Amino acid sequence: MNQKLENILDKCLDRVFDGESIEVCLNAYPEQASELEPLLKTSRAFIRNSAAIQPAPEFRARVHSRLRAMSYTRQEKLERSKRIPIWHRKWLLAVASVLVVLLVGMGTVAVSTSALPGKPLYPIKLAGEQMQLTLAFSDIDKAKLHIQFSERRVIEITEMASQGKNDTIFALTGQFINHLQQVYEIGNVDELMGNGVKTPAATSALPEEAEAFDERGSKEELRVMLSNSREESLFALGNALAKAPESTKANLQQAIEIATREYDKALYNLEKHSN
Amino acid sequence: MSIEKDIVSRATKGDGAAFAQLYEEHLDRIYRYIYLKVGNRTEAEDLTQEVFVKALEAITTYKWRNLPFNSWLFRIAHNLVVDYFRKQGKIEKVALDDDIVLPSKSNPALTAELALEIEALAKNIENLSPAQREVILLRFGAELSTAEVASLLAKSAGTVKALQHNAIVALRKMSSSEK
Repeated sequence: MNQKLENILDKCLDRVFDGESIEVCLNAYPEQASELEPLLKTSRAFIRNSAAIQPAPEFRARVHSRLRAMSYTRQEKLERSKRIPIWHRKWLLAVASVLVVLLVGMGTVAVSTSALPGKPLYPIKLAGEQMQLTLAFSDIDKAKLHIQFSERRVIEITEMASQGKNDTIFALTGQFINHLQQVYEIGNVDELMGNGVKTPAATSALPEEAEAFDERGSKEELRVMLSNSREESLFALGNALAKAPESTKANLQQAIEIATREYDKALYNLEKHSN
Repeated sequence: MSIEKDIVSRATKGDGAAFAQLYEEHLDRIYRYIYLKVGNRTEAEDLTQEVFVKALEAITTYKWRNLPFNSWLFRIAHNLVVDYFRKQGKIEKVALDDDIVLPSKSNPALTAELALEIEALAKNIENLSPAQREVILLRFGAELSTAEVASLLAKSAGTVKALQHNAIVALRKMSSSEK
């Protein structure tokens, strides 16, 4: 009997979800109507009330633009890789790695740091950044590099804005977010790897306290660096917005909103974990 | 091919516009489910964002089975919420913050009344057993079908229906005793 009621209730709920009135269902099951009615009314109130919970429009737009930027970057990567056969890609990767290592010494990578998207040296710039991240000794060093690279993306965004290249602004915003997300993630780590060099304090009689002190110092240094980066990047983006052509203003405005949020999130996280 | 299947198929091939369509279609329900679980707007926004970022990262590996796409999304959401409570060392409870976004802001009286009703609802959900609560939130908050809830929670459809029935009876009793 109970099982029968559970099944009928379930069927009626599906009908209520589809917009049918409770009465139609009660008429369809007259024998169970007296038991069903209060249950369906309670359910309807629940459905109505919970449907009122909605994400804020700013949040909806923010995530939408982040996903759009991510999609664009993925699509671009996919198309780039499709143009090169797999066996070619493996060779290219190996040759590129060797070249980057060699070119670091020769200063070419240094020259490429000012290269902009679409220019021949730009892939070398990105490969150089990747190599620096791979070679970074500690989490703190990695986080510093991510901050530095996020600033580069901001400079590139401002340049692309002045040239009216909306698609590239999307892609760069996505990369910018990824850098700050990495800083956020590193901020999450409770015990960061230090810089590998033991400070005099770290070799004192109370090594655990000294290491904790050392770690707090590193996080504080990171926080200050990120805070300065926030000021400079938002200033640069604000300036770019004032001068940008009308066609790129909306995207630039979005980039500013995303940058503000991502910086604040990473800063808050660092503050939370360094206390 | 159904419309959703076609959109999902395009999204799996890297079509950003198709993924954006899926995002618009499922955002509200994913957010509502997470919000009712964590009870805090900022945390709900962070987790909701993470659901879609993870989905986008993994969309090329998605394989269409007989269940709708939202079952896959809710599995991601469910796992993230479980991880969230584990990491925070928190016990799951539905205590909503005051920062809830309601659609009828133009009518403050109506908004206040709705907020009170939602708060009462949250309190009542908290008194359900964990299994009943999960079924009710997935069924009513996320609007999943019984089959989808059963698949997500690895329970039979019969068990889900029984949990749903008992939960509604319990909620009915709670709301009657409030009056």
